[in-house]
Amino acid sequence: MEMHFDQHISRQFNEDLESIKTEMLEMGGLVARQVADAVDALSNADSELAEKVLRAEEEIDKREMALDEHATLIIAKRQPAASDLRMVMSVTRIARDLERIGDEASKVAKMAIALTDEGSSPRGYTEIRHIANAVRKMLNDALDAYTRFDVIAAMRTLTEDEKVDMDYRTAVRELITYMMEDPRSISRVINVLWILRSLERIGDHAKNICEQVVYLVEGADIRHGHEDKLKTK
Amino acid sequence: MDTMTLDAAGQTAASQPESAEREAVDTNTSKTVGKPFCDDAKMRMRNVNVFYGETQAIHDISLDIGCNEVVAMIGPSGCGKSTFLRCLNRMNDTIEDCRVEGELTLDGEPIYGQKVDVVPLRARVGMVFQKPNPFPKSIYENVAYGPKIHGIARRRAELDEIVENSLRRAGLWNEVKDRLDQPGTGLSGGQQQRLCIARAIAVSPEVILMDEPCSALDPIATARIEELINELRENYTIAIVTHSMQQAARVSQRTAYFHLGRLVEVNDTETVFTNPQHELTEAYITGRFG
Amino acid sequence: MTDTNRNLTQEQVRQRIEQHLASRHRKEKVFRGLGIASVAFGILAVLVLFTDIISKGSGAFVQSAIQLEVTYDPLVLGIDKVDEESLTWANFTGVIREALRERFPKVQSRSEKRELYSLVSSGAPFTLRKRLQSDPELLGKTQTVWLTADDDVDTFVKSLSDSKEGFRGRTSDQKAEWIQQLIDSGELKKRFNTTFFTQGDSREPEQAGIRAALLGSFFTLLVTLVLSFPIGVAAAIYLEEYAPKNKWTDLIEVNINNLAAVPSIVFGLLGLAIFINFFELPRSAPLVGGLVLTLMTLPTIIISSRAALKAVPPSIREAALGLGASRMQTIFHHVLPLAMPGMLTGAIIGMAQALGETAPLLMIGMVAFIVDVPTGITDPATVLPVQIFLWADSPERAFVERTSAAIMVLLSFLIAMNTAAVLLRKKLERRW
Repeated sequence: MEMHFDQHISRQFNEDLESIKTEMLEMGGLVARQVADAVDALSNADSELAEKVLRAEEEIDKREMALDEHATLIIAKRQPAASDLRMVMSVTRIARDLERIGDEASKVAKMAIALTDEGSSPRGYTEIRHIANAVRKMLNDALDAYTRFDVIAAMRTLTEDEKVDMDYRTAVRELITYMMEDPRSISRVINVLWILRSLERIGDHAKNICEQVVYLVEGADIRHGHEDKLKTK
Repeated sequence: MDTMTLDAAGQTAASQPESAEREAVDTNTSKTVGKPFCDDAKMRMRNVNVFYGETQAIHDISLDIGCNEVVAMIGPSGCGKSTFLRCLNRMNDTIEDCRVEGELTLDGEPIYGQKVDVVPLRARVGMVFQKPNPFPKSIYENVAYGPKIHGIARRRAELDEIVENSLRRAGLWNEVKDRLDQPGTGLSGGQQQRLCIARAIAVSPEVILMDEPCSALDPIATARIEELINELRENYTIAIVTHSMQQAARVSQRTAYFHLGRLVEVNDTETVFTNPQHELTEAYITGRFG
Repeated sequence: MTDTNRNLTQEQVRQRIEQHLASRHRKEKVFRGLGIASVAFGILAVLVLFTDIISKGSGAFVQSAIQLEVTYDPLVLGIDKVDEESLTWANFTGVIREALRERFPKVQSRSEKRELYSLVSSGAPFTLRKRLQSDPELLGKTQTVWLTADDDVDTFVKSLSDSKEGFRGRTSDQKAEWIQQLIDSGELKKRFNTTFFTQGDSREPEQAGIRAALLGSFFTLLVTLVLSFPIGVAAAIYLEEYAPKNKWTDLIEVNINNLAAVPSIVFGLLGLAIFINFFELPRSAPLVGGLVLTLMTLPTIIISSRAALKAVPPSIREAALGLGASRMQTIFHHVLPLAMPGMLTGAIIGMAQALGETAPLLMIGMVAFIVDVPTGITDPATVLPVQIFLWADSPERAFVERTSAAIMVLLSFLIAMNTAAVLLRKKLERRW
């Protein structure tokens, strides 16, 4: 089924739907930027950039609220059905995920500041960089799939999360071993663990976004391991 | 905008590339999508064609209406939903050169045919119309008319009881019990429509057909009627034609979408309103015609 | 709405509307004026007609009578007892002449006597006969009675109020003098003309009444109503509710409409040919008149009944049919009660039309001179409009006012019937 949101009898409705989609994607771009900046701040020990990430957090929260408001108005005025309804629902859900991603990015930025202050001993940074790249790609792909209503791309991105989870578990195991070897480094490594944890969460949220793409296009809710819903259809 | 395609029947998964979806667009050949049939059908319609003279108003519609189920029929004006509804109690008989073909049964017995008497049929399949149309008689007379002509009540007391019960079930008793002898046309629009429903259920029908019963009513009266439909569902089978998609979504268990005399899609109401399988249905319920 | 018209600004458009407005108002005023003028003309015409008729006809409701001392002298009467046989040939004229001579003893010559005798109506002897018949004791006694004056006397007396001289006509000076004397002595008075309402037609104006014509009209209309209403309503119901719409029913419909436009005299010819010549029904009878008028009013009633049936909202029919009422139940329980006011109005208007109809009745002999008051639908009779026609044709001046009076009676019946139609409609048209 093709997704067209510009063919309503009401032109205003077309514009409303188009604009929440655009707003959401803009917010997505902003959040992706935050994640990138946070990771960069960490790897470059750039506390100034980290501060900037923390300041931008507020903007993302504002956008989420604006988007929610906008979606509520559309529901109240238009009583959207079918794909329109799914569009509005998915936008609000994705906005929530994006906001959470923003939170995780801030956490990473905070940790970056803490780690920079303590001086460097780049244990675990390789893992961070590896996972960070993976989740950034996931996030970008998810938003991209949404832009193009591309279920296949979304499904592909979805499966990436498993890899990220595996990488995360491996990294955690490694860092635990390290901490056991050198108990003095525990506080630092815990910070690194927190960062990994945040990145892993970002991956989960990116996965959620992909699920919303499937929901939007196919009308199947595949969250919480219900991928079979799509298959049986 | 990139496209994601699905076969109209929704049988293919997302990973399958676009294939035979062109056919689904072609309304002239498409078969009904979804679940037009059910196991405990009260009324079964198979391959129904309706003609007005030379013009064919309904093309090959097959549909079941299940026991104690509310089936909503939606579709743009002139799509044949009212015509189809009127076939179910042969109200089309009154229209000249209207011809109905196909197999229509109520509890397995044919509705059409030389031997079928339309009078008991209409007692079993009642109808509520678009415009509230109480008789220009008293409220009591309005409700009592059906039982009277069918000889249902043997005594006056029995008739009184039927009238009271019907008005109670239509949720009108408390409003009119003190003025049963006053004209039914003096009631408000919503009350009139409930009176018409009371009149219809006074002859204890098994199926109630409703042809846009709320189109002339304000939202509050509409809400009352919708609530009433929900209650009536326990005892009756209901088919309702409506122009309000929200109404169809609220009151029905299954929704049938008609388009240009064809039944395009029948599905559980939830499915139709969140994820319709035919793109015409999608276009209609999201307001994309034009 | 900014660019509704690309070439004109809103300001310009408004200006043009403003300019156009004046001529629109003017036209409106002219049209309204024309309407008022036509209504005024109509009312004026009706007023002129009514004043003319009333001024001419009101005189007919009074009749001059002369008071005489009458002696029922058995000698003059030539009878010795009062019974059916003797009354038929008793000479009441002689009694009246005797009384007149007594009143004016100076009259001697033959011609003068003839003048004198003509003061009293030639119908006066019948009045005396009736009196004697009802009271045989009067034989041989003297009684003061008011006897109807002759029409010439009546005309003269009535014309006196208009001018000093009065209208003489055949009245001689001598006679005028006697009349003056009688008026002065109070022996000649204008009394209410009961004869006009209780008698049939007569060659003598003072004895002519409209009772026969009224009853004739009544019987004729009765036949018409009894036949045309049920038949018309039944036909309308069939055509409107049952008949399939095909070229046959179209043909019937066209023909009914044509029939309504057929000149009424054609129906008269038809009646003459079919009812009288073929079925040999009695000539001049209200039965045949009613049949002919039925033919004439049927189309009117069918058309108005069909219109009334069409006006019943289809939703009522659907409601009844949807409950399982049969077609007949639907019609009789719901459609007919709602259509009845319209049907009755149509019927009454048809009846009023029939009441005023003359031409077809001329063809079936209802124009005959009929003195006897009809007692049934097969008795020879005439009807009001024909009576008016006959009187308008009569030479006696006294018939002029009687013609107008008859018109007044006819008009009042028409008005009564139309009022009845309106009231009936109001009553039946209860807004539920």
